[in-house]
Amino acid sequence: MARTTPGDGGEAPDRAAQEFATGGSTRHPEINWAAAERSPEFRELVRRRWSFTIPALSFVFVWYFGFIALASYAPSFMGESIYEGLTVGYALALSQFVMTWFLGWLYLRQADRVFDPLAKRAAERALTGSSPPDRPAPASAGPGEEVRH
Amino acid sequence: MFRLPIAEVNVEAVSIFAVVLSITLGITYWASKQTKDATTFWAAGRGITGVQNGFAIAGDYMSAASFLGIAGLIFLFGFDGFLYSVGFLVAFLIVLYLLAEKMRNSGKFTMADVLSFRLNERPARTAAALGTLVVAGFYLIAQMVGAGALIEALVGIKFSLAVLLTGAFMLCYVIFGGMLATTWVQIIKAVLLMSATIVLSLLVLGKMGWNPVDVFNRAEAQSQDGHAYLEPGLKFTNPIDTISLGLGLLLGTAGLPHILMRFFTVPDARAARRSVVWAVGLIGSFYVMTTFLGFGARALLGEAGTTGDVDEAGNLAAPLLAQNVGGGDGTFWGDAFLAIIAAVAFATILAVVAGLVISASGAVAHDVWSNVIRKGRDSESEEVYVARIAAGVIGAIAITIAIIGGSDLNVSYMVGLAFAVAASAVFPALLMALTWRRFNTTGAVTGVLFGVISSLALVLTGPDVRSDPLINLTQPAIISVPLGFIGCFLGTLLTRPEEKAESGFDELYVRSQTGLGAEIPLEGAGLTPRPRRRRAAAAATTTHLHR
Repeated sequence: MARTTPGDGGEAPDRAAQEFATGGSTRHPEINWAAAERSPEFRELVRRRWSFTIPALSFVFVWYFGFIALASYAPSFMGESIYEGLTVGYALALSQFVMTWFLGWLYLRQADRVFDPLAKRAAERALTGSSPPDRPAPASAGPGEEVRH
Repeated sequence: MFRLPIAEVNVEAVSIFAVVLSITLGITYWASKQTKDATTFWAAGRGITGVQNGFAIAGDYMSAASFLGIAGLIFLFGFDGFLYSVGFLVAFLIVLYLLAEKMRNSGKFTMADVLSFRLNERPARTAAALGTLVVAGFYLIAQMVGAGALIEALVGIKFSLAVLLTGAFMLCYVIFGGMLATTWVQIIKAVLLMSATIVLSLLVLGKMGWNPVDVFNRAEAQSQDGHAYLEPGLKFTNPIDTISLGLGLLLGTAGLPHILMRFFTVPDARAARRSVVWAVGLIGSFYVMTTFLGFGARALLGEAGTTGDVDEAGNLAAPLLAQNVGGGDGTFWGDAFLAIIAAVAFATILAVVAGLVISASGAVAHDVWSNVIRKGRDSESEEVYVARIAAGVIGAIAITIAIIGGSDLNVSYMVGLAFAVAASAVFPALLMALTWRRFNTTGAVTGVLFGVISSLALVLTGPDVRSDPLINLTQPAIISVPLGFIGCFLGTLLTRPEEKAESGFDELYVRSQTGLGAEIPLEGAGLTPRPRRRRAAAAATTTHLHR
């Protein structure tokens, strides 16, 4: 299933004890990732995350490229004063800053309150789901022991 | 290209430089004592907190092109210069929503770790390293030439000496202090840059009678373009080019390897997203203040700029503004402010070039050497050793090109080119690898190649380089970004599905979204040892694997 890269432990014995292999991200073949990906907990996490980011990013694209299109095609409208010399263009530019700050803050809040608890559940499900039901996972020396990095 | 406002060596500027540099060298010494393994060298042991990383991202991202360049563009072109500020900031929402946490969860040291996670390692990694090197290379040369010209103008030392000094300090940070020194140099730079900008903005505001709107009216009154100065269109006359620039800035930021690499320095995904929001707060505040630097320079310096004192690129608008609000040429505070701004500009450049060199050395040592040539069979110490050599070679090449090209080397298109390649070669392939199950190795390679080749071809045959451009677009993104995505799709769909890439997608997808299996921080990494309770929380899901 999951690819084993050098450094996952398989070739460790032929190296000096303090010298660790390099290589890319450490892999964890002991987890059943396919089952984890299909678990309802994970599906819920992914659904909730996309249903936040897709509408938010769509709004960003519309507001940002709308601003740039107005600057490109309607320069005199952008130059109109709305308050003692503050122009439409500058006010719209400032609205981009406010949008970025607000959507950044909103994502943090959403991630802390919704995505993180769901991610934790999905991760727990993946860990418990990975061990066969007839063989309970060892308490102290789990399969993770050999992938310590 | 640059007019010298100061004929002789500026003693105040040199003394302030010396103070800033000795602090950074002290940090580098401290960092070199900590840097004994690859995780510290590349990722500062993953012990940088979210707030620290937010400052470091701001320090990594805001180049001299942001500080002096945007102030100069606003000074020269009014509203159009401010378009850059907007694009540079909004881009971070793409980074936050699509990449930051996923990079932290699934990568190890470089962006290529994520791209090659489930693909055929050697071709995918080579493609990612190519993208990294092209982006970092052009960005680095542009910064080095800019650094030389600016320091020559501000401090009064020769261009080639200025480039050599910049290069020497940059290499010192990276080779001896690795990511740890680079991070703290970036944090210090961000603090210096923000403080200087706040003080300068307040002084400008004071001159405006504390009425922010007055800066526009007075700038308009001082500009020979009249009201057009406050309207778009003085710099960007081709609407398609403007939209293309907007696209390049928006997606390019999300493909900058030196920014993406910063997410491997924090303990977990939560810190990664916090760091983006901190960076957004800092970078956004800074870009709002570019209003006072740019429009303020126009309002207070008047037309002086276009006829003489400020160079044609406008890069000296901010330093001369500082001299003006300090009391003017020859006064104590006027000269002191000019010297401070010069030192801040130097620190700004150093922090950015150090970040670029460490990401480029990552592509050479971690990606190409360790994982493509040595197939992951080398030791950590060998990887760090090769990284130090690679950093030295990359730095030497950049210094040589900058000195041979001289201050007349046309670098105006190089930062734009770096953003275009990042947007059209790096970003599409990364996004596809993280979200599309069917995506395969051929798709990644063709995507990166399409993006790199189309960006290079469009810029090298475009109006910035040739007098008879093939396509009259200075900004290639509107063509090259779709081509990058088309490369990913065509390469994937025209070749057979890869079973390994699709089964590996489960691991990458679950890991990137949940953090399960993510690389854990080194024990005791970070500036201060954290309480056990917080460390336990930091590695929440990953520790399950280690019980």
